[in-house]
Amino acid sequence: MAFKELMTACALAALAAMPATASARTLVVGVQDNLTGLDPTNINDTLSQTSLRTVYQGLFGFDRDMKLVPLLAERFEASDDATEYTFHLRRGVKFHDGTDFDAEAVKVNIERLANPENRLSRRSLVSMVDRVEVVDPATVKVVLKEPFGAFPNNLAHPGAMMISPAAIAKHGKDIGRNPVGTGAFKFKRWAADTFEVVRNEDYWKPDLPKVDGVTIRSVPENGSRVAMLQAGEAQFITPLPPEMVTVAERNADLEVVKRPSIVGWYVAMNTLKKPFDDVRVRRALNYAVNKQAYCKVVENGFCDPLDSPLPSLLRFHQAQEPYAFDLAKAKALLAEAGYPNGFETEMFGKNNTTAMRAMQFLQQQFAQVGVKVAVTPLEAGVEAQRIWSVAKPEDATVKMQFAGWSSSTGDADWALRPLLASTSFPPAMFNVAYYRNEAVDKAIQSAIGTADADKRAGFYAEAQKLIWQDAPWVFLGTNQLLTAQSKNLSGVYMLPDRGFSLEEAAFTN
Amino acid sequence: MSSYLIRRLIGTVPVILVISLLVFAFVHLLPGDPARLVAGPDATPQDVANVRQSLGLDRPLWEQYAVFLGNAVQGDFGISLKTRRPVIEEIGERLMPTFWLTVVSMVWATVAGLLIGVLSAVRRGRWQDYTGMLVAVSGISFPSFWLGLLLIDAFSVQLGWLPTGGYGTWQHFVMPAFTLGLGVAAVMARFTRSAFADIAREDYVRTARAKGVPERFVVWKHTLRNALVPVITMVGLQFGFLLGGSIVVETVFSWPGLGRLLVDSVSYRDYPVIQAEILLFSIEFILINLAVDVLYALANPEIRYK
Repeated sequence: MAFKELMTACALAALAAMPATASARTLVVGVQDNLTGLDPTNINDTLSQTSLRTVYQGLFGFDRDMKLVPLLAERFEASDDATEYTFHLRRGVKFHDGTDFDAEAVKVNIERLANPENRLSRRSLVSMVDRVEVVDPATVKVVLKEPFGAFPNNLAHPGAMMISPAAIAKHGKDIGRNPVGTGAFKFKRWAADTFEVVRNEDYWKPDLPKVDGVTIRSVPENGSRVAMLQAGEAQFITPLPPEMVTVAERNADLEVVKRPSIVGWYVAMNTLKKPFDDVRVRRALNYAVNKQAYCKVVENGFCDPLDSPLPSLLRFHQAQEPYAFDLAKAKALLAEAGYPNGFETEMFGKNNTTAMRAMQFLQQQFAQVGVKVAVTPLEAGVEAQRIWSVAKPEDATVKMQFAGWSSSTGDADWALRPLLASTSFPPAMFNVAYYRNEAVDKAIQSAIGTADADKRAGFYAEAQKLIWQDAPWVFLGTNQLLTAQSKNLSGVYMLPDRGFSLEEAAFTN
Repeated sequence: MSSYLIRRLIGTVPVILVISLLVFAFVHLLPGDPARLVAGPDATPQDVANVRQSLGLDRPLWEQYAVFLGNAVQGDFGISLKTRRPVIEEIGERLMPTFWLTVVSMVWATVAGLLIGVLSAVRRGRWQDYTGMLVAVSGISFPSFWLGLLLIDAFSVQLGWLPTGGYGTWQHFVMPAFTLGLGVAAVMARFTRSAFADIAREDYVRTARAKGVPERFVVWKHTLRNALVPVITMVGLQFGFLLGGSIVVETVFSWPGLGRLLVDSVSYRDYPVIQAEILLFSIEFILINLAVDVLYALANPEIRYK
């Protein structure tokens, strides 16, 4: 009898305890754009990449502060000259199709991506690889053709995530529609504007995932996306437009989350063109902009002024002495450079609302020191033609360009080299300022020539200091990432590169 | 009748050919390098060159056109540069949502527009007329973007009756179809009213009345039937416009349709998708025109022999 009572009591207690545990449901995420594809090695937009992190994983990943963390690799060793890397892999991990994740799988993936014949758009991540050697099932050695100190960071990029070799063999080119990875969720469906994944019951991390699945739906209109969250049709939306923050905050069921980003905004000045060939002019324009006002006007206050060419969350960032807002100093510098009454110039930028607001704000700021700027918003295709397709620097028509950049590897290398090394003049890469400083070039080059973090930090400190002094850009700010979510959702967060992490999503009631 | 139809159908072939050439030319005249956009912001020139080659964009234009036309005839419109899926699938997935949205919008808008138009014409100068035309004018001038958000706020957020957007059940249709059809209903109402008023002044209507035909009969049989001929044209034109022009509504209600696909493709320079979509819209217009002409021909046999 007593035993029976005890059992009943236990059963009742268990029943009572049940609602307290997280109830499993499908998480619906509202985003702005459609995904562009499901082959991580062949896509370029942050949204698709971050969405695919539900299905795929790389040897490394990033935590919420953009720090490198081990995922499918547990640890690595690098040779001093940064040309040989040995990765020790996590054991017992299986792909969704039941095949093993092992050294052979890593070899297949890296070789597939590195092979120019496959024409994969993320090839540059591993293009420095010479060969991949399988040491044993849990150890793989990668030999590079040249030193590359940021290699593990490149492998943390979503473009280098691990695909099941069996699936690659089975689907061939159609792998971009049949993703098979090791992630917390398995692929279910991708149609027009909806991407659906379901829980991976055999996931290698204990007690994860906590939701039945994830649906990512594209809702391009800002107002509709917020309405979707308010109506309970979605539990997480990104981005939350700054002007909608108050609306969302007024709703007791919703939570607005602000997170720092690694997206740096700046105005590149063409240093080969008058008057921007004079460093005094470039510094003057840096003094002429009120960065706090920029953050308020352009990003509704959700932004922090830049204190280095590197946004502060990037690896090897080092703060510099800010160019304080000082019109008198700006005017004096302009006069010294021979432009006491300012000059006329033109600014290119994208044609979206935020970029246009930013450019109009800058126009007004520069006007205070007599610099008259004609603002020219460019549609993406026109921009590609006017700015990126110019073959010779002397043919460039760009004078100023308002732009933003996010270093997708989380490393200083991909923040500085493509934008400020002299080897990166368009059309090679994105040095629209046509900035050339041999000392900076050398520092950037030396920094990828070693795997020693301390040495790299030293080189990048040097580069940041010189770039800051030379001021090829008007340094503006890094915007914060705004999202909104249901109060009963936890475990979902934005990464500084505008991606999101859904793996630990859970509902509390 | 069938020979008329066949003649007309054959006549559309050269038109479609010319359109295909124009579409191809215009799309390739758009500034911007699709390979650059496809390869993405942090691609190296080598990546871009790879993409360009794999998309066949490095070949001469005439060759690209020949390939495009040859494949199109076989129903192959290539691979989307953006998603790398067959264009036919991309479009197929979005064709039915847009088609049904258009049909539902058209049906309610036509019925409502006709009723309001006839009522306004019959009760010309009275309150029914003023109310009808007030509704019509507001319907035309209401920005559908704003109306859509207003509806979402009222019926989804506040009342919780209807989904904010998406595609699936009949509930998903209510707000987008209302928003999309409102402008058409307004145009129809105004058009019907004036066509009806013109016919009402015709001699045969006066004669009918003088003969003592009941007013109900005069309105529905003599006047409306004749007034319908120009209205059919209007329906055809509006239908064509809606099929291609529901971009704003599709955006506000996150409707997975062709309008949104077109906007996305243009900003991405997704040549194959743009080409196929514009071609599709053109063919739709041609077919709708044909249908309108056939309806005329049915109504008036004289047209067939011209």
